[in-house]
Amino acid sequence: MDVNPQHLQDKARQFQENMVPQLEEARRNLEDLNTRVVSFVRANPGTCLLGAVAVGFIVGRIASRR
Amino acid sequence: MTTFQSNPGSNGGQQAQGEQGQAGFGHRVDRIGSDAQQLWDDARGAVTDLNASLDLKGRVERNPYMMLAAAFGVGYVLGGGLFTRTTARVIRLGVRLAALPMVKDELLGMAEAAMRGVEVGARGMNDMTGAGGGGASGGGSERQ
Repeated sequence: MDVNPQHLQDKARQFQENMVPQLEEARRNLEDLNTRVVSFVRANPGTCLLGAVAVGFIVGRIASRR
Repeated sequence: MTTFQSNPGSNGGQQAQGEQGQAGFGHRVDRIGSDAQQLWDDARGAVTDLNASLDLKGRVERNPYMMLAAAFGVGYVLGGGLFTRTTARVIRLGVRLAALPMVKDELLGMAEAAMRGVEVGARGMNDMTGAGGGGASGGGSERQ
């Protein structure tokens, strides 16, 4: 199998150049989502805790039926 | 209420008895009212104390995700999911993940020792074969 190292290197660099901006954007989106979720939880602690308890209850119910 | 109202046609003794009964009833109503007020105050105080001791708001402020996970766990236990196969699987996965750093260190140590052994072996082969061992030496350097 003929493998050209230069070609592989170019391909890898191109892949990296394509992927880095997307990764950066994904990271920024995740950070933004995290900030929004944290601020929502801090603004409505009772609602979020009750919701988490309800979701846990449902999951526990489903797990106990299996 | 109408039971204790005085009848205009009755005599004075009955009227006095009715007034006394009305006063007793009123006193009892007052006592029930004050007891209910006391109970309400106690309940409010207990809730306030519990809120202050749990400090849910402060805890959510400090660790929002941790508190959500704890609430989820409470709900999961209340839902009857504690003694199930899913819980066993999750616990097993958690133990494995917790043990991963230790195992990783062990594996890295073993890999380093193996690489060192391969390097020493290649050097020995190179010494034994003389000039013909150039390829082995090159292979060893490539591995590094």
